[in-house]
Amino acid sequence: MTQKPLQNCGKCGFCLNACPVYKILKEEPVSPRAKLQLIKAYGNHKLASSHLLKDIISKCLMCGSCTANCPSGIDHYSAFMEMRKKMVKAHGETPAIKAVIYLLAREYRLKFGAGLAKAGQKLVPKSFSKTYKLGNIPLKNFPELNLIPFREAVDTVIFPQKKQAGTIVYFTGCATNYLYDDTGFSVIGILKHLGYKIIIPGDQGCCSIPLLFHGEKDLAFKNIISNINALKTHDADTILVDCSTCGEALKNEYPRLMEKNDRNHPAACAISSKVMDIITFIDQHFDHLEFDPGFKKKLSVTYHAPCHTRNTFQSHIIFENLLQKLEFVNYKRTSDAEECCGGGGTFFYEYPWISKKMTDKKIKNAKAVQASLWLTDCPVCRMNLAGNLNAKDNLKVMHPATLVHTALKTI
Amino acid sequence: MLDTHIQNELIKIAGRARYFDRQEELTCYAYDAFVKEALPDAVILPETTLEVSGILKTASRFKIPVTGRGAGTSVCGAPVPIRKGIVLCFSKMDRIIEINTRDRYITVQPGVINADVQKALAPFGFFYPPDPGSMNTSTIGGNIAQDAGGPRCLKYGVTHDYVLGLEVCLASGKIIRFGSKNIKDVTGYKLASLFCGSEGTLGIITEAILKVRPLPETVKTLMVTFDDLDNTANAVTDIIGSGIIPAAMELMDKLTLNAIEDGANLGLDRKAKGSLLIEIDGVKEACEKEMKQIIEKVKQNGAVGVQEAGSELEREKLWAARRSAYAVFAKLAPDIISEDVTVPVSKVPLMIRKIIAITDKYGLKAGVLAHAGDGNMHPMIPTDRENKEEWEKVENAFSEIFRAAAELGGTLSGEHGIGLAKSDYLPLVMNNDTIEFMKKIKQAVDPDLILNPGKFV
Repeated sequence: MTQKPLQNCGKCGFCLNACPVYKILKEEPVSPRAKLQLIKAYGNHKLASSHLLKDIISKCLMCGSCTANCPSGIDHYSAFMEMRKKMVKAHGETPAIKAVIYLLAREYRLKFGAGLAKAGQKLVPKSFSKTYKLGNIPLKNFPELNLIPFREAVDTVIFPQKKQAGTIVYFTGCATNYLYDDTGFSVIGILKHLGYKIIIPGDQGCCSIPLLFHGEKDLAFKNIISNINALKTHDADTILVDCSTCGEALKNEYPRLMEKNDRNHPAACAISSKVMDIITFIDQHFDHLEFDPGFKKKLSVTYHAPCHTRNTFQSHIIFENLLQKLEFVNYKRTSDAEECCGGGGTFFYEYPWISKKMTDKKIKNAKAVQASLWLTDCPVCRMNLAGNLNAKDNLKVMHPATLVHTALKTI
Repeated sequence: MLDTHIQNELIKIAGRARYFDRQEELTCYAYDAFVKEALPDAVILPETTLEVSGILKTASRFKIPVTGRGAGTSVCGAPVPIRKGIVLCFSKMDRIIEINTRDRYITVQPGVINADVQKALAPFGFFYPPDPGSMNTSTIGGNIAQDAGGPRCLKYGVTHDYVLGLEVCLASGKIIRFGSKNIKDVTGYKLASLFCGSEGTLGIITEAILKVRPLPETVKTLMVTFDDLDNTANAVTDIIGSGIIPAAMELMDKLTLNAIEDGANLGLDRKAKGSLLIEIDGVKEACEKEMKQIIEKVKQNGAVGVQEAGSELEREKLWAARRSAYAVFAKLAPDIISEDVTVPVSKVPLMIRKIIAITDKYGLKAGVLAHAGDGNMHPMIPTDRENKEEWEKVENAFSEIFRAAAELGGTLSGEHGIGLAKSDYLPLVMNNDTIEFMKKIKQAVDPDLILNPGKFV
């Protein structure tokens, strides 16, 4: 059964130059085409399971660029996820990855873990965090955890202060909840400005993409069902995401997985049809946004288009057009705005030497256009890019929503 | 598996990190975009000419087959190591050595990707004309070995028209250089041309000097539809016959047009039996004059729809439709087989009729796509190679298509090469003495027959 889609790979090689990992390593085994061939050989018992096989299959950012460029319309995602599951089952996972999976699998664990880590960040001696790196990123450059998880800092329902424009359900994702609450407050600010009623379901959890990418399909499944239940109960016009990877999960993976497992497919589809990323949302409401006329400072801005923004929402183009419309922005495009930064979930941790090459190139080009603000709508990209910048680079990384919110007129 | 002492010798040359011989790795170098596959004994990713030379010295001493490989996008099995041995993959030897637009050349290593050459030249206002469909992935070394073409080769010529000089490692490991940076150079045999289309059977290319051209000032694009496929083909011969050479002239039949429209709503005329995407480039005034003449010609041939791209966006849309043709067909069945027989332009209408008659006879669904201006046909058959009965029909149909092309004074391949796919059909277009002559050349430079053995020579 699972062999069918692999038959379709014409081995044309169009995915090679779409794959960020191949472009750095220039070795066929890491290419999407080769991975499909290996999966096929493994399925036909021509190739035995091995640590090398697991390593090759894992050398992938799960960015979806191969699928976006595949003339035969192959579903690489499902094939890779299925194979990752088999490889993890046969060869296990590193303790560090296991720990991340364990935390993400249950919201209460994540919350507890974040609390511990918060305390931990204070306890780690300065000299230690200055010298050591986690993957590609120096410890001292990791973002500080939110003082209070974002979803606890805001009300579950926020009513508009002016005529109600509609109802939005906001899926915050783990990053906004634990790491980057500035993004969350900016999203709320924009929605308030527009007069939306905002619902932030308290029972939402990890979108499960990290679990799926690490082959933990069964753990992911429980999370997904619980998220579907949390989201389906609210009558909203739009389910908003500030992270395009969460968006990819809600929009594409949930319906796909539910259908495959004969579970509540209609509910997943209903959610999927309402999912919108914050960039598209801002663009669609652009005419209703009132910018502060006092915000006159011209900002030099550049943009990094995250993989899932490009491949799931194609909203990177929308955003680049938007940047050119904003009077207070001097948009300085880098030639590699659409290239992967090397973050890729836990990729920067698992393959720092590959990741570093990608990140360094991005940083070099962003510095070359002399931008002072680097916008990106994915928390892992943000963590990876910011984590590899030095103070003297004079480049601040933030979510696009934060810039837009900062420039809005106070109502 | 190679003997341990040979392995050690090879690893000493290129290092352990660039020597692959585990089953998982070998599996990834057993294929290209053709159907046949074969596992090599080892894969080496060289980074310098000296490494290549060293590897060849060892290989010839132990008589181990060596098959060159770029990005593995060949559609004829050229880089498939059918006699095992070593695959030399050039993906890491990818440096642009020199760009000199004043003298109109660029010097590159074989692993440089075609599209990267274009990107490097664009800021200087120059380009490298050969534009194979795989250009975003395929390498210059592979392009030369297969003598790649592409849509705009109608006006500008194919790869062999742009190779000024090469550095080549012979089977013995000796390094030879021929040709030069001069556009005009008749010093001895034109060896660069001999290596174009040689598919790695004569030597391994380690550096290339390529001729480049200034980008045209103006580009104009036209989409023409017809209610008759014969008329479409006749318009092609009429335009070319009148002395106008468009940059590209792409023909699509009804099945192809509809398949594209099914996938993406581009507003193509579903009732049209044939269409031509015509592009002309050059000086603005000349383009306008030629455009008028072309419109006149297509109307004389019964065109029912003529649409000129008014903006870059519209132009991009028309090309997107054409470029998606292969992809659209690829989605119709598990496999897609596309060939590239080529006939003199005046025979294009006849050849199209023959392709349709042959595929109809076997009850196969086939799309006809062609770089029609240079007679380069791309019949495409969506199929399932697991279905033995249908697969046999596909093979028979292509065999008849090759024969038909040969009878019309055409040839087996316009731009893909021979590889494993068409070597059996060489006698259709060459007599025995000619094939023998190619073999003599091969034996003279590669007496142990270690370079890409099992292919057309």
